[in-house]
Amino acid sequence: MQTTIDEIAPVSDGALERFRGVIGAQWVLSSVDDRRSYHDPYAFDGGPEHEASAILAPQSVEEIQAIIRIANEEKTPLWPVGRGKNLGYGAAAPVLRNSLILDLSRMNRILEVDEKSAHCLLEPGVGFFDLYDHLQANNIPLWMSVPGNSWGSVIGNALDRGIGYTPYGDHCDMLCGLEVVLPDGDVIRTGMGAMDNASTWQHYRHGYGPGWEQMFVQSSLGVVTKGGLWLQPEPEMTAKTEIRFPKFEDAEWAVDVLADLRRRDIIQHNIVFGSPIRAATVLSQRADWYEGEGAIPDAVCEEIMAKFNLGWWTGKINVQGHAEIVEASMKIIRAAIEPRLGKEVDFEVWRKGDPISKSARGVPTTIGLQAVNWYGGRGGHIGFAPVMPSKGAEALAFARKMKAIYDEVGQDYYTTFTIGRRHINNVNLLLYDRDDVEMVARVKSLFTRLVDVARAEGYAEYRGHIDFMDMIADTYDFNDHALRRLNDKVKKTLDPNNIIAPGRNGISPYHPRKEGAE
Amino acid sequence: MLKMSQMTMLKPLCIALSFSVAVSCGKKETETSTDEPHKVETTAASAPKPAPHEPAFPRTAFEKGPDATHPGAEAFRLECAMCHRGFSTGVIMLERRLDKDSAILEQRTDLTVDYIRAVVRNGLVNMPAFSKVELTDEELDEIAAFLTRNNEEAE
Repeated sequence: MQTTIDEIAPVSDGALERFRGVIGAQWVLSSVDDRRSYHDPYAFDGGPEHEASAILAPQSVEEIQAIIRIANEEKTPLWPVGRGKNLGYGAAAPVLRNSLILDLSRMNRILEVDEKSAHCLLEPGVGFFDLYDHLQANNIPLWMSVPGNSWGSVIGNALDRGIGYTPYGDHCDMLCGLEVVLPDGDVIRTGMGAMDNASTWQHYRHGYGPGWEQMFVQSSLGVVTKGGLWLQPEPEMTAKTEIRFPKFEDAEWAVDVLADLRRRDIIQHNIVFGSPIRAATVLSQRADWYEGEGAIPDAVCEEIMAKFNLGWWTGKINVQGHAEIVEASMKIIRAAIEPRLGKEVDFEVWRKGDPISKSARGVPTTIGLQAVNWYGGRGGHIGFAPVMPSKGAEALAFARKMKAIYDEVGQDYYTTFTIGRRHINNVNLLLYDRDDVEMVARVKSLFTRLVDVARAEGYAEYRGHIDFMDMIADTYDFNDHALRRLNDKVKKTLDPNNIIAPGRNGISPYHPRKEGAE
Repeated sequence: MLKMSQMTMLKPLCIALSFSVAVSCGKKETETSTDEPHKVETTAASAPKPAPHEPAFPRTAFEKGPDATHPGAEAFRLECAMCHRGFSTGVIMLERRLDKDSAILEQRTDLTVDYIRAVVRNGLVNMPAFSKVELTDEELDEIAAFLTRNNEEAE
């Protein structure tokens, strides 16, 4: 069921020459070394299966338009990336080999930060570190949410529905206004931006008539060249804590209590709630604990928990806002959790003027990438991330089922339940040593099995790795895959030459399975 | 359960680990630090004391570093410091493979230009390769000049 390869011919010398004429020879990369530098660093096979035949790095909307016109004429598909750091999902690599990577990382201007209305307008090459640096260097009292790996693009992450763990952590929901080059080279702006010189592009999302913004999210229907994003006004006070739930079965009541607090907006962010292996991968390597066969035994997990002061589940909570509200929220949270937990919940409090490290502010970090060092060797991970309801009994039952499968297969169970108001993004990292052929094979088959197990529960992934995009799309099967039929129809209409990101999220008429589908 | 032989092996790694945690704790005194979901807070009882000779190098990518006027210093801050400063992944991995002094690139005296070029362009173990778009040859050479500024034998 995986996407077949070898369907796109390598780009021709003539086409490359035309691209050089548009953006300059320096920004058309096609040597062996250059192509290799865009491999997914965590690729199962080292990268060749998803190798681009060249990389184009334009710096303007006009250059992108010109590239798209040539791509249509030459029938050379483009795979747009913001900064290419979607690690765990394929990084910069395209689904289909020989696509051209359209690397937008040179388009890295912070076009506007509106301090009063708390929003910004960014090009796709702006990274989380860049935006944070800009806010800090200019003393702008606005905060941002950051993902676990913040190396990538702010807009790119929002467009892949990335998540953070502070208010504004539903990154896609914080988008307000996109500028997009369509597959025919036309440029549109969504929402209020559809008006020339609009005063409200980053203020109101919907515009007039159908809203098209979501059409460009996890999408192959255009190249996003600007994105508006809402930022969080700096609060007066924050309080943060880590709550350790000692028993595996505590997941049931903990998820119910936390989700209720989340739904009532006492907790204003999606709550990360993870297994001990998650913390252990940052602070240690597997061999520090266990070098035997099979998955790490529970007894060893208990040693890890004792050493790092973890529970079977460790949840991170913060509250932000005016002091009176933060104080009251802490009381409510304590009252909800302490009686069941049987101990006090202690918060670390930050007030304006205190060192930022005491605060719950989202600060960009790459520490999460440390996880790939768990097994040693050249590491990697892929994300398996089904969406499920934020209900305790279901979460516990699924965790038990998943852990049993990991134990049976012999991989360590690294999971986080990111608890929202009504959903959970259950982000699991499947870690591996790329040089261990057996482990890589095990992880691939484990992933496939997990997709099926989730499907049986009525759960499907919110986001997927390039190797498994078709497989995940297959699970969205209501009315004999009506969604796929719609996606393919829209794709064929807007992008008849299939030049933007063929294969992205399982949408691609190139796929032989779909020939004559309809 | 760990066997005795494994416990013996664990010891040096725990020392490396305790340094990581010390970096994390010491960082709280600075203006900024990472606050991310993976970080584990240590209790007062379990937190090791900061190393007595903890180097005075910046711990985040948002501060000016040593020799900040060097042409490559700012490029290092923007392109490398996100992993190679403070409690971060490049530092931790280098601590494990080398030692804690070697883990901080900005204070190394043994790096050479060719080595830096090779690592950046090809990646190394868990460090991904950097493309010529992300880091042009000119920018890479500036960074290499910065990181070799204290190596008298470097080219």
